[in-house]
Amino acid sequence: MTALPLVGFLALSSALFVVGLFGILTRRNFILVLIAIEIAMNAAILNFVYFGAFSSGTGGLTGQAVAVVLIGFAATEVAVGLAIVLALNRLKGTINVAQATDLKL
Amino acid sequence: MSLEEVAFLVLAVVALITAVAALLVRELVHTILWIAVFFVDISAIYFLLQAPFLGVLQLGVYAGAVTVLLLFGVMLTRKRIFSREAATGVDAVPLALALVTFIFVVTSVGELPQSSQTIQSYDPTLLSQNLFGVNGPWLLLLGLLMMGAVAGSIYLVREGRE
Repeated sequence: MTALPLVGFLALSSALFVVGLFGILTRRNFILVLIAIEIAMNAAILNFVYFGAFSSGTGGLTGQAVAVVLIGFAATEVAVGLAIVLALNRLKGTINVAQATDLKL
Repeated sequence: MSLEEVAFLVLAVVALITAVAALLVRELVHTILWIAVFFVDISAIYFLLQAPFLGVLQLGVYAGAVTVLLLFGVMLTRKRIFSREAATGVDAVPLALALVTFIFVVTSVGELPQSSQTIQSYDPTLLSQNLFGVNGPWLLLLGLLMMGAVAGSIYLVREGRE
């Protein structure tokens, strides 16, 4: 039987989420922002699996099922994000998020 | 310390190092190499948590598909793929915000039991019954969302749009 501390896992995923948050706030390249979103998303998905794995009954199954669906959501989000990157690159010639200001008033 | 705890510590340290390195290196191609290692590491954590199906899914979807998609993004948006990014310094305000969030989360989970607990392992058959039974509507919703995403992506990158 595998035995592990839940607190360590929670510390890991909160640290990963914070790294992703930092990347989203500071990076200027759209692809790097997407990668930072993926890091934060992975940290969030890990949480479902931990709480499932450490719960009794069939909680672990629900946690894993939610994680499967969320992995699909995250992959879809990358695909749409990259479509936006390509559209932005064609329109502006750059993928710097600081210059994507067309929606500003 | 048990063998599993040592494995978890190693995997956690590698995950943090690769995540930070992916965001800090200057060449975008190197970023994608780091993020591929990060995804493989997360997949190893799933195996450690007795969730082999999720581990394989993570390897296929993230370490495989998402990494290649990001590489395509890099290849299509720059003339020389190994050109370096302009150096972006580490801003104080986002760093402080990130640290405050981290400290808040860690102090709020500190009340949970610190000792090691056993991890339940499930037969993948049970997982598939759960996934296509109780949680079936969510899978259908995921399929609809993916169809919508395909249509939206084609709309965004279509030719002759100025």
